[in-house]
Amino acid sequence: MDIRVGGGYSMSNFWFGEGIRKGKKTERFPFAPPEEPPERPSRMEGSGEPYCPTQAIKDGKWDAGRCIFCRFCEPGYTPTGKQDIFKVNRTEPVLKKSFYIYKLDSGACGACNVELETIFDPQYDANRLNIFITNSPRHADAIVVMGVHTDGMKEALKNAYEAMPEPKLIISMGACSISGGIIGESPIGREKYHVEIAGCPPSPYTILEALARARGD
Amino acid sequence: MRYKFGEPSGRYIGHWGKYHVYADSISEIAPDGYNDLPVHKMAPGEFNFQYGPSTGGLMESVGITLTTPGELINSVAVDPSYKARSLKLKGKSIGEALLLVERINGFHAASNSLSFLMAVEDALDLEVTVEVQKARILQLELERIRSNLEVIKRLCEPAGFGVPTNQLGYLREKVSRIISGVAGHRFFFGANAPGCSRVSSSGINEKLSEVGQEFQRLYAGLLESKIFLNRLQNNGVTKDSLLTGPAARASGLRYDSRTVRGELPYMETPFYPVVREEKDCFGRFCVRGEEVLNSIDIIASLGSLKETVRTEIPKGSGEGCARLESPQGDIFYYVQLKNGSIEDLWHVSPGTLNIRAFRESMKGNIFTDFHFNWESFGIWISELGVVIQ
Ligand code: SF4
Ligand code: SF4
Repeated sequence: MDIRVGGGYSMSNFWFGEGIRKGKKTERFPFAPPEEPPERPSRMEGSGEPYCPTQAIKDGKWDAGRCIFCRFCEPGYTPTGKQDIFKVNRTEPVLKKSFYIYKLDSGACGACNVELETIFDPQYDANRLNIFITNSPRHADAIVVMGVHTDGMKEALKNAYEAMPEPKLIISMGACSISGGIIGESPIGREKYHVEIAGCPPSPYTILEALARARGD
Repeated sequence: MRYKFGEPSGRYIGHWGKYHVYADSISEIAPDGYNDLPVHKMAPGEFNFQYGPSTGGLMESVGITLTTPGELINSVAVDPSYKARSLKLKGKSIGEALLLVERINGFHAASNSLSFLMAVEDALDLEVTVEVQKARILQLELERIRSNLEVIKRLCEPAGFGVPTNQLGYLREKVSRIISGVAGHRFFFGANAPGCSRVSSSGINEKLSEVGQEFQRLYAGLLESKIFLNRLQNNGVTKDSLLTGPAARASGLRYDSRTVRGELPYMETPFYPVVREEKDCFGRFCVRGEEVLNSIDIIASLGSLKETVRTEIPKGSGEGCARLESPQGDIFYYVQLKNGSIEDLWHVSPGTLNIRAFRESMKGNIFTDFHFNWESFGIWISELGVVIQ
């Protein structure tokens, strides 16, 4: 295959031009409704007690933090497209101007890992909300825990948490991390999280809004 | 069962426990040289640099030990066991086992779940319609496009190449949204069952063709960006032939499970194995880039596909295997069923051969080459660190 840029560009001009040519691709979310919300994950609504492999439906109530969106309960329960499946138990308004998160993969399948990175893609651009990733827990305001408990990551999780300065938020991302999901046990225990972001994996819309709300937005 | 236990036959695919899988057989005999990776003896002045298991610089938790006298890397060890998950699969029904198999590697859930289901169908002697087979090709190729975009994005990142990094991220998200529309889930979870597929291809060709055009422009730009190419060329040269997937095809080897007749009807599509001779990160980058464009053509040739109705899962017994080409390379599943429940299950991940090749190819390189070389193999740790119970 022979592919060429052509047009006599220098390469730095080419990339500069490409940046301009594409224009702005970022949605207004969370200040406007999501443009293309996924069907799954999203808030499930329905009634009855259909079989659920993770016991996400109990006494006629749906628990977002247990749901893995497997469709076993459909059509009794159906996804609504609503992305508000997160819970904020503590806010830190001091983080409004700069919010650094440290991601920790305790035992994730890879999908949560990718969705967390996706909030920095142009459609979402978490940086415009002053949300950044840090590679060191010492510079982090929050730890985002993904995946189930694993023996091998227990110490790394503890060390990362202890290395973080105060105030520090513990954020649980995905069914595995919140409740153990379909695979195992939560690495920390549901009651210890300050923020729960539900989904398997959570959608970038849900992650972005939950992080913004964790600062009291 | 399609595969027979016995003597090694055909090229090497990989191993699980004592089983070594070849293109045409399963054996307890390892290929020549497989277990002979030389053990590195620390020389005076050398030290070990530990990277991971948890670091923002890597997508997943993995322990990497680099042995170096300062700059040059003389040996690398990769430990994928930190985040090893135990999956309780044995005794589960096929439907419940599938929920776990999808999550062995969520980013490559279509490859894992379809390989598992094809093994189940082999065990139960189930016929699969051409419509469902095409729907499977659709899923696998969408997964490949997204995965290859992700790898190329990750190659641009350590080069600090902001514009292409962001634009590739934009395209990858566009593909995730296409997948969400096709399968009702951004990672194909819940989209498959034995003999059926809940995907519909309505309206995707136009969106994919836009992705293809935008990608072609970016790819052309990258191929002319000398500073970027310098980071890839002669970096991570593979040395032997125990390779799989894009790493094999970038080393002149025409290894691609899509060429195997009898698994999925790829030969009725414009599929061709992309083969390069460079053997380095640049070759692996080119293979993935060209494959994005070929996958778009393959999907366009499938025509319009509709959801197929879910049928009752038969409660039979038997053993079966299947192999297909995931974005990383060959993926293989073995299942043994008893009255519709999982009696035994194991799989071969392409990551095993890719880690082996990465380790060998890293020797003699320098620190700054590390990220480019690691990302060029597109290794997923989740798939390797599983214990099946
Ligand atoms: S989608 Fe699956 S996990 Fe979620 S409530 Fe329904 S049955 Fe339970
Ligand atoms: S919550 Fe779901 S997507 Fe996230 S790590 Fe667990 S299985 Fe994977």
